[in-house]
Amino acid sequence: MLNGIPLEHFLYISTALFCCGLFAVLTRRNAVMVLIGIELMINAAILNFVSFGAFDKIKNGGQMFAIFGIVLAAAGVAVALAIILNVYKHFKTIDPSAIDEMKG
Amino acid sequence: MIETQHISTPLLAAIIALLLPLLAFLIIGLFGRRLKRQGDWVAVSFTFIAFLFSAFCFSQIWQQAPQYFQLPWLNTGIIKLAIGLRLDNLSALMIILVTFITSLVMVYSMEYMKGETNYPRYFAHLSLFLFSMLGLVLADSLLLIYIFWELVGFSSYLLIGFWYNRDSAARASKKAFIVNRIGDIAFFIGILILLTQFGTLDLTTLFGSGNIQGLVQQSKVLGDHWMVINSAGSIHALNKTYLTIAGLCIFAGAAAKSAQFPLHTWLPDAMEGPTSVSSLIHAATMVAAGVYLVARVFPLFDSEALSIISVVGAFTAFMAASIAITQNDIKRVLAYSTISQLGFMITAIGLGAWSAALFHLVTHAFFKCLLFLGAGSVIHQLHHLKHEHHLDFDHQDLRIMGGLRKKMPVTYIVLLLAACALSGIVFFSGFLSKDMILMSAWMRTQTEGSGVTFLIALALSLAAVFTPFYIFRLIFKVFWGDFRLQKIHPAHNLIVHESNNFMKVPMMLLAAFTIFIFYSFNPIHAAHGWILEGLQAPLSNFNKETVISGFVESAVPAITLLLSIAAIFSAKKAYADQKLRFLSEDNLLFQFSQRAWYFDAIYDRIIVEPTVLLSKLTGWFDKRIVDGFVNLWGNLTISFAAFVAWIDKRIVDGFVNFTGSFSTWLGSLFRRTQTGRLQQYMALGVLGLILIFVLTYILH
Repeated sequence: MLNGIPLEHFLYISTALFCCGLFAVLTRRNAVMVLIGIELMINAAILNFVSFGAFDKIKNGGQMFAIFGIVLAAAGVAVALAIILNVYKHFKTIDPSAIDEMKG
Repeated sequence: MIETQHISTPLLAAIIALLLPLLAFLIIGLFGRRLKRQGDWVAVSFTFIAFLFSAFCFSQIWQQAPQYFQLPWLNTGIIKLAIGLRLDNLSALMIILVTFITSLVMVYSMEYMKGETNYPRYFAHLSLFLFSMLGLVLADSLLLIYIFWELVGFSSYLLIGFWYNRDSAARASKKAFIVNRIGDIAFFIGILILLTQFGTLDLTTLFGSGNIQGLVQQSKVLGDHWMVINSAGSIHALNKTYLTIAGLCIFAGAAAKSAQFPLHTWLPDAMEGPTSVSSLIHAATMVAAGVYLVARVFPLFDSEALSIISVVGAFTAFMAASIAITQNDIKRVLAYSTISQLGFMITAIGLGAWSAALFHLVTHAFFKCLLFLGAGSVIHQLHHLKHEHHLDFDHQDLRIMGGLRKKMPVTYIVLLLAACALSGIVFFSGFLSKDMILMSAWMRTQTEGSGVTFLIALALSLAAVFTPFYIFRLIFKVFWGDFRLQKIHPAHNLIVHESNNFMKVPMMLLAAFTIFIFYSFNPIHAAHGWILEGLQAPLSNFNKETVISGFVESAVPAITLLLSIAAIFSAKKAYADQKLRFLSEDNLLFQFSQRAWYFDAIYDRIIVEPTVLLSKLTGWFDKRIVDGFVNLWGNLTISFAAFVAWIDKRIVDGFVNFTGSFSTWLGSLFRRTQTGRLQQYMALGVLGLILIFVLTYILH
């Protein structure tokens, strides 16, 4: 129990967030939007870490992992955005379904 | 063993005489066209030098011991063959005869063949012939004789077919060659029998020399066996019929070359060659090779063989003489005359009158050569006439000639001399030699009294009476009466000239040798003449020497002479004065004679036609059955190959293609999943994850 809110509610929100992210990843025709979807899915996972971390008050393993996740997501976004820029330079589009060639 | 390795001077001379014509053949054959006068002088001079060497040889050898020269040649273990020369009376006499006549004929040919397109080829072939003939008479073993025998036949083939673009000449040369082949095969079989029995083919070892017995004389017929201690020193025996067979086989070879019945038909056709060739080869020398051969192997003939030989000879002599009477071609008359005279020689051998046969060979060589040269002279002039006036007639036909006596006096006189010699008129050579043969025949009849010997003697005598008739028929038709050609072509002024010296001198020289004095000083009996003194028959176990004596010795020549003169006078009446006619041309006998007893027709029917039929049959068999079988096999293979190809294409290729197209299909199926779209991959990944969750849930 976290401040009177049961754990399941966190998990429902996390699941909904994940599904939204997944939906965005699978359906968006803009790579930036896909990236945002990925961020949503990462945040759903971080929310899970934080929720379960409430049960580990001594070591705070969940909180630690959440911080790692945020940092990693930020680094990933930076790299991904750079890739997207380069892809745009090359293909003149950032629609992931249009990019089906591996050859440069 | 006789000294054989040492070369004495006469042998050296003989070798040079043998090789000179070969050299002439090579020189003219290779460079003839580039030499002066197309090289005829090479042939003539080489032949004349060969004659001089032969003459030297003859002077050294005649009535002296025989000389030998031998080199080992073929050593095949048991059989050792040598090549070498043998010089004795017979071969020395033959080489001088052959080279002398050949040199005269060559001089004659320089004029006769003048202007021929293939002038050098003629002299080359004539030299080759001379080489082969010399080799034949000098050879000291039967194998070597056989080799030169073939060469003689071959050069005769070349010379008969000299005008090869004439169909008749080409056919005649083929005929001569094929008929001679038949004899050659028989000859070779005879040689093989001798080789089997005696293990050697050396003439001296086989037949001895002088009074020394050879292996043939030493062999004995005991019971059914013919035994001998052969050259290897062991006893060898064959069935006794082989003795007769060997003799008859060799005789068959000689019969082909000497144109004896039944192999005589080639000689008249051989007249298609140039007349000078007929004169040299088909009258004087080559055809005498057969007589020479039977004389050489004389001791081999047993009584059966000897009687067959004499019957064949006598029949041939009579038959050919009867044919010669009605021939219209001047050369054919002489050709049949040659066959007839060769028949006399063969009969003489068969009767054991060995020396008479060879004596007749020598005298006949001179006068028959002369007869042909004389006929050639007439033919040559008429041929010129034909070209000069652009007329078309057969320049060898007796029916268009006549009255040439005054226009060609030299030719007339030499032909008259030769005709007298051939007819056996006293003081001429033929009288001496022919009457010796007749005397032996009648003497044999008197001593044996059998029907066969009587028939032989009768046939020979009839032939001897026919002879003057046909030859004087020729003389009268050519030289007496009117020039019938002028009558046929009255518009032309036909003038016949005498031939020039190139032709006259050889004829005159030969004419001298028709006189008795060269052979015997006694004009009516030659027994003590130098030739007969030198020609002694070899020892033979089977020969019954006939000593001519008594009534026959005087009566036979006298009666024959009287009958001959009567024949000449009747010929004069019939052909010069034309007061007498014997038989009309429609008469069966006349036709029988003119068609040469229908031998060619009979041979065509019973030998040539069946042979052609057989070859057609085998041709059909080859084409239909053999080829058919091969083709069937081929077709079967093709069908099988087609079947295999079908299997290969459908089954093997089909399997390979199926593998390929199946992989292609499978690939194209899976290729659809590989779109390259990230979101699709991801969706599939999520789907898979969910599937794993669901499965895990269900399984638990």
